[in-house]
Amino acid sequence: MRNKRNATIALVLGTLACLVSGWLLLRGATSLETFPLNTLNPQGRKADIIYSLVVPVFAIAGLVFILVEVGVLWMAARFRRNHDDVEGVGEPVQVHGNTGLEIGWTIVPAVILAVVAVFNANAILQMDDTNADAIDVTVVGQQWWWEYRYDIDSDGTVDIITATQMVIPAGRDVKLAIQSRDVIHSFWIPALNGKMDAVPGRTHPLVIEAADPGIYEGQCTEFCGLSHGVMRMQVKALEPAAYDEWVQRMTTAPEQPTDEKALAGQEVFVQQCTSCHQINGLEPGAEAPYLYADLPNPNYGEDVGSTLLSQNAPNLTHLMMRDTFAGNLLDLYQGDSAVAVETTVGSAEAVPSGEPDTNNLKKWLRNPEDIKPMDPENNQGMPNLGLSEEQIDQLVAFLVTLK
Amino acid sequence: MTIVHQRSPLELPSGEPLTPPKPLGVFSRPKATSGWKSWFTTVDHKKIGIMYGVASMLFFLVGGFEALLIRLQLAVPGNDLLSADLYNQVFTMHGLTMIFLVVMPLQSAFANYLLPLQIGARDVAFPRMNALSLWVWLLGAIFFNTSWLFGGGANGGWFAYAPNSGVAFTPGHGMDFYAVGLLIMGIGSTVSAINLTVTVFNMRTPGMSMMRMPVFTWMAFITQVLLVFALPVITVALFLLMFDRLFDASFFDVSKGGDPFLWEHLFWIFGHPEVYIMILPSFGIVSEVIPVFSRKPIFGYPFMVGSGIAIGFMGWGVWAHHMFASGMGPISVLAFSLATMFIAVPTGVKILNWMATMYGGRLRFTTAMLFSIALVAMFTIGGLSGVTHAVAPADTQQTDTYYIIAHFHYVLFGGALLGLFSGMYFWYPKMFGHFLNERLGKWHFWLMIIGFNATFGPMHMLGLQGMMRRTYTYTDGQGFNVWNLVATIGAFTLAVSILIFMYNVAHSYRKHKANPVDPGPDPWDARSLEWMIPSPTPEYNFAELVVVEEFDEFWHRKYGHDEEGRLVRIAKTEDVVQKPGATGIHLPSPSYWPLVLAVGLPLVGYGLIFNLWWAVPGALITIMGIFGWVMEPADDPDGGHEHHEDESPSDDPEAAAELTDGAESGEASDEETVAADAEQTEEAPVG
Repeated sequence: MRNKRNATIALVLGTLACLVSGWLLLRGATSLETFPLNTLNPQGRKADIIYSLVVPVFAIAGLVFILVEVGVLWMAARFRRNHDDVEGVGEPVQVHGNTGLEIGWTIVPAVILAVVAVFNANAILQMDDTNADAIDVTVVGQQWWWEYRYDIDSDGTVDIITATQMVIPAGRDVKLAIQSRDVIHSFWIPALNGKMDAVPGRTHPLVIEAADPGIYEGQCTEFCGLSHGVMRMQVKALEPAAYDEWVQRMTTAPEQPTDEKALAGQEVFVQQCTSCHQINGLEPGAEAPYLYADLPNPNYGEDVGSTLLSQNAPNLTHLMMRDTFAGNLLDLYQGDSAVAVETTVGSAEAVPSGEPDTNNLKKWLRNPEDIKPMDPENNQGMPNLGLSEEQIDQLVAFLVTLK
Repeated sequence: MTIVHQRSPLELPSGEPLTPPKPLGVFSRPKATSGWKSWFTTVDHKKIGIMYGVASMLFFLVGGFEALLIRLQLAVPGNDLLSADLYNQVFTMHGLTMIFLVVMPLQSAFANYLLPLQIGARDVAFPRMNALSLWVWLLGAIFFNTSWLFGGGANGGWFAYAPNSGVAFTPGHGMDFYAVGLLIMGIGSTVSAINLTVTVFNMRTPGMSMMRMPVFTWMAFITQVLLVFALPVITVALFLLMFDRLFDASFFDVSKGGDPFLWEHLFWIFGHPEVYIMILPSFGIVSEVIPVFSRKPIFGYPFMVGSGIAIGFMGWGVWAHHMFASGMGPISVLAFSLATMFIAVPTGVKILNWMATMYGGRLRFTTAMLFSIALVAMFTIGGLSGVTHAVAPADTQQTDTYYIIAHFHYVLFGGALLGLFSGMYFWYPKMFGHFLNERLGKWHFWLMIIGFNATFGPMHMLGLQGMMRRTYTYTDGQGFNVWNLVATIGAFTLAVSILIFMYNVAHSYRKHKANPVDPGPDPWDARSLEWMIPSPTPEYNFAELVVVEEFDEFWHRKYGHDEEGRLVRIAKTEDVVQKPGATGIHLPSPSYWPLVLAVGLPLVGYGLIFNLWWAVPGALITIMGIFGWVMEPADDPDGGHEHHEDESPSDDPEAAAELTDGAESGEASDEETVAADAEQTEEAPVG
């Protein structure tokens, strides 16, 4: 009797516990505001495909979970040996098995899985479909930031090279060609699609689409060495008109700086930074006046003989067209919230507005290793250049003109 | 190759004794079978098993300490307790330690100790090789951990994806120690796996057909077969990596025509069967413990064995589910995704059969039973989360997030380790002659279950919320703060439970020393052959070889059933078990050579990493070990190592007569009869 009562209690409490843990699992699951990398709040049609598979699979798994856990608890309570049990009296029936039952619980799960498998197969084959108006972006992973290359007019030459924040038109498919310059990385914008590895020597396709304008947070998810943990990125989706404006700005050289401080900064840049960083048209050893070019040099790192293992550093021609920098670790503009960790859906600007956050830029230039671990001795990441405060001031004055 | 000597090697066919030749080599043959020195020369599978167990528990503390460092670092956002570089070393070493230095050798400990006992044998097929596998593994493990003294631990992740694991991107020596250390340990595991496989094939006691073997023996056996086939793959991969790193071979360097994908495939072709290598022995342990404490036979023995075999086979066809996001193309993804989903079927069969075993039983909640039931409950969670990412598109969201960390800790901790702890409480009296304290055991159990779920449960949430793996920090705004803190508190609860377990071991030992209580041969009223012999197991295991007539032989000698199928005792346990004391049993002789051979390998390792000249003495020592071993007769010609218990000579003259009978009768040595000989001979094998 006691066992039966306990078994009932176990049944009720067990079910409750399972439901509570399920609720904990899903609580706040939809919030992109709280969890910018949330996998359970799809914002584009590829992520939707995945999500529509995740929901039923989790439901089935949840049901089996409750059945097994509650079953184990119930049995533990129901068949527990009592203190007044006597050996030889009421001993268990010696059941060696039941072939029918066992075949049953082999086949039933197999059938359930077979049904799921059909939907699974269907989803896998849908992942690479693209609409006719898709645009192409080449994504290049490297230690520890992402580069994006656009061939806007499809003439085979690269028109835009930018970093950290990829800009795409909302509502249109974007075919990514994912590559790597050094080790294996993985490109992941959870709200838009699953992951795809960037493997040196290979080009991997991934299609993303954002239904609405917004900023979508991402993260490198294949261990890629020292600073893997902070190798972040964003996708900014714009309304079609805003996207066209962005392309227009990005394919036109920025205006030359006019004030003296910025010009001095430009000088420092050419001397100190051009051996790794490209500003379209500026090359190491160039002489004043420094003239910008509209188009980037796609082989810049190789051409200037960069010693970095990845041979490349972010193209800074239109630095201030991004909202964040330093591999999406720091905001470029002052504001109430930290864009660098946010996912915000609903609106996004082609040209960021607001006051540049010069403190962040200075912090970075004083010692990048404070922000992001680097190993410059092994040619990985940005070294501390030992710039004087004056040089830093001048550089920042110059950098904020790059819009 | 003769597996079994029928005749003493010092006996001429005429029966005349031969004067023993002088032993070769610089050492006189070790003879001690007790005292601390004997542990270094022993070839006794039980001592070897215990050493595997003790060593892996010490490494468990190391790996656990590394886990606590990880959890401390991630307790709060933006923590700088560990630098990014140190964190990368710590998480890599944590994984490698727990896999290669804890779970695998712990399963070796149980397999070594129990497998011969459960099939009624006196030792493994090749006792000296058994000692070799222990020493090679142990010295390799120590070698691997000395990397902390030479500039830091391995820092490329346990999966060591190329090219990041190459010398250009990871110039320190950590990854050298990874490649060489795992290669050395792999030798030990391969030797051990071959040994135990042959043991199962050849050393079963008369009547112990394959389908009468206990489920633990079956699962351990499948594990060994998996090891035999999986280890060569990782050995090849590690050789390539070693050559890349040390000799600039460029197998994985794209710019020189290599391919990083090659490493990924090689690694996971090993890496996935490895998961089953770690989990199947625990499935076996649970399949022993649950029937004993339910007083019911295992439900559906053929299905239990069959599902184990099925898992073993299917485990080879699912490796690329670790690579759903690697860009191998939709068709490969589809194939591996479907294969992976269906491996859930045999695993589900096991869960349901364990539950059916408990159903209608009379359950005794000993600590061992609690751990086994917990395995059923916890492993189910790991299995189900596994199904959720067998669905490849879902996996592309979940892979490399904390959801995966949660998943495989529910499999490897909630599965493998809980099973191994269950086994420790269950077989402790058989191994050491006294119980572990049950009260402390229950504290250990409940704290461990609470700590375990508090640590790894929240990681499901973290993963779905997008927290990536192998990250040394996270930022305040990412929403990961709460569950990370909970997980850290859980990890420390786990640590406390481990301390209680260690205290339990010490406490129970002291209690036993002060007031010895013999647990008797069969303290749990159990079912398999190892419970028929005294505790702790005598050196010779079985005074008399048991002739087996059915599955659960020992149980059926104690119990029958009435017409309703209910349990009825038919014999007293005392009348069924074997009495202590046996004479004339010929056991394999101890030897120095396995240890000598093993000592050379880490020295070669240091030589490979630092200066090739240093490898020369190591190689010489190993060659000397091989030479000494080859020249050493398997049986000590100097009087042998016969077991006499003079204090308590066997009081059963018939049994004694039978014992000598077997040793004298056999003459055959042709291949066909080898297996039969193994079953019938009273002499332990040599190898």
